[in-house]
Amino acid sequence: MPPLSICINTQTPLVQFLSPSAGDRGIEGAFEPIDLATLREGIDYRYSPGGVTRMVYPLVRRLLKERVLREAHWVALNPHAPPSARLGDLTLHNVSIEGERMAGYGKVKEVIWGRIHDLDAIEEHDELFWSEAFSEYAYYNRITAELIRRLDERFDFDVFYVHDFQQMAVGHMLGTLKPKIFRWHIPFDVTTIPEKWRSLLSTYLNSYDVTVVSARSYATSINALHPTGKVLRMYPYVDPDDYSLPAEAQIAEAARRLGLTSEDEVALVVARMDPIKGQDYAITAVGTLAKKYPRLKLVLVGNGSFSGSRTGLGLSKSAVWRAHLEELVKERGLEGRVLFTGHLGQADLDCLYERSSFTILPSVREGFGLVTVESWIHGRPVIVTERAGIAELIQDGVNGLLFDPDKPKTLVRAMRLLLDDRTGKLRARLARNGRRVAKKCSLDAAEQAESEMLAEVTEA
Amino acid sequence: MLGIGSVLTLLAPFLPAAVIVVLTVLLAWLVGLLVGRLMRRGRPQMTEAARRLATVVVALIGGTIALQALGVSADILLLVVALLGVTVLVALRDPLGNYGAKYFSDIYTPFKIGDTIEVQGYSGKVIEINPMTTVLLSDKEQLISVPNASMIRDVVVNTSPQAWKEVTIPVSISGNIDLPAFESAALKTLSKLRVRLDARFPPVLTTKARSPQSTDLTLTLMLRRPEDRDAITAEANKRLTEVLERLRASRRSAPTPGSAR
Repeated sequence: MPPLSICINTQTPLVQFLSPSAGDRGIEGAFEPIDLATLREGIDYRYSPGGVTRMVYPLVRRLLKERVLREAHWVALNPHAPPSARLGDLTLHNVSIEGERMAGYGKVKEVIWGRIHDLDAIEEHDELFWSEAFSEYAYYNRITAELIRRLDERFDFDVFYVHDFQQMAVGHMLGTLKPKIFRWHIPFDVTTIPEKWRSLLSTYLNSYDVTVVSARSYATSINALHPTGKVLRMYPYVDPDDYSLPAEAQIAEAARRLGLTSEDEVALVVARMDPIKGQDYAITAVGTLAKKYPRLKLVLVGNGSFSGSRTGLGLSKSAVWRAHLEELVKERGLEGRVLFTGHLGQADLDCLYERSSFTILPSVREGFGLVTVESWIHGRPVIVTERAGIAELIQDGVNGLLFDPDKPKTLVRAMRLLLDDRTGKLRARLARNGRRVAKKCSLDAAEQAESEMLAEVTEA
Repeated sequence: MLGIGSVLTLLAPFLPAAVIVVLTVLLAWLVGLLVGRLMRRGRPQMTEAARRLATVVVALIGGTIALQALGVSADILLLVVALLGVTVLVALRDPLGNYGAKYFSDIYTPFKIGDTIEVQGYSGKVIEINPMTTVLLSDKEQLISVPNASMIRDVVVNTSPQAWKEVTIPVSISGNIDLPAFESAALKTLSKLRVRLDARFPPVLTTKARSPQSTDLTLTLMLRRPEDRDAITAEANKRLTEVLERLRASRRSAPTPGSAR
């Protein structure tokens, strides 16, 4: 297969601009991008936390390096950014929409997200696609599609790769016969989708040659809508090389800074501050176990998402959720036993994984759950909600422990199993087997799967 | 070298004809505008055709008067045009019939590419509608070419599921209109018709063709009751025209174009 020219589309941008002057540079509509090498990371810009930086970016770099791709352009929503920027071989193009339209778009995406995660009554949002706010959602998708179309006129892409439900209409709006791939990152359960949404959802999905989902059950469910394109299951992935093994002194220093002592049993939750992430389950479980295990501490790592951040879309709900969790900690008398760290840099996070006794993925629903893979890479046992995509990779008691978020006692039981494992045999076994499974969610595995898909879709 | 006076004397015989041409252009534009306004509730393609026809008729009359002013006999001119017209019509009777039928079937025949139809004893999925024929793909994977004239002369049965519900309205917007703003405003105004439409199928705009000058879209609406077809079509057309006029007006008054980067 000759190297391809690709256009990637995500909602979250790879890079967020921190300094207003950096965002102001560049001329509206100009194609000459700002070179990020001339700006300062951490001062003028930063990488967005989450899947975009952890998953999509490393894959694109790898595919460029391996000459699967010859050129990559990346279009994302980035209101506080110049029109385009250059990052090595990659060109970033930024979409901006006005405040009022952003509010409508934000509302629709929150409702879709909530419904897909089964957070509210199914009838509540039946009329969403008829609402005024939906016209703004369409506006954002169309403005994105128009930018991609203009770029295509100039760069003649071989394939389009659209990520996430926020952009699902882009494929339909592009109106091109060139191959289009759509990656659906969140869960997909057709029973959570209102009857009145299905036709439009099908229209959008049918515009793609391939729809990629993160778990087998999602693929089965999406097939119930009879999409005309192919549906593939591909596990999300991380690059194990991104994770370092810090020195003992570094780990001890990081632990001290966070208020942990050497005797503490650390249960770790790494997730953004969001009700869907289920941090409250973990706090409640620690409350139940606190008396019997006086050294047990729960560490909650994470802030809001790009949508909620100041440099992002400003649609914050994370602060409200964190306040709720802090209240819960107070109610349960767990001050000092539950620590909130906020966002941590990779070095500190590596230390914390190494310092932890085990990690918990307590989400109400979770598209996949890459933090479980990170935990495996660090050789830590995991307790995982049955409602995460990654649950299909977990054999209970073999490479992890599963729990049902509807039955809080099952989480308590799983934590107790690990806390009572005095010999450490169970923890070691779970970690060892987990590390093996983690290879399925590695950048190497993804490179192979994605290359095969790109070849198939462009040569079909 | 000729003086200004000599030039004026030389051009004087052409002056009345020039004035008539200028007036004709103005009148043709005005008549076109008027017809467009009067037919704003109609299907956009019909409106455009009527506008063009009115413009051409005014231009022809004006042109004839201008030629008369120059001393050319209008009788001879009309005779030549008529003879040419008859010759073309006789020579291209069948292709023109099909072409004309295609034009009208685009507007009035309730099927589109992708639908399954039956016509003249043939049945298949419509895979192409070209100026001459409509191409069907049969269940046996045979290509069946049906002259477009048959589509308005014979009985056509659309057997696609829920075909009666579907109303497709072609929309053409000029290249200087902000497409995202048009779509957003169109969806907003069309959502007001939702009590008359099947709530499971929100309005969808699909891009059909693009050029620097224009974008051709198709609006798909799904009816709740079959008898609302005409009323909904007219109302949707009216609303789309209003959106376009509003955007044209705001573009005229806006100092800079749209918000897309």
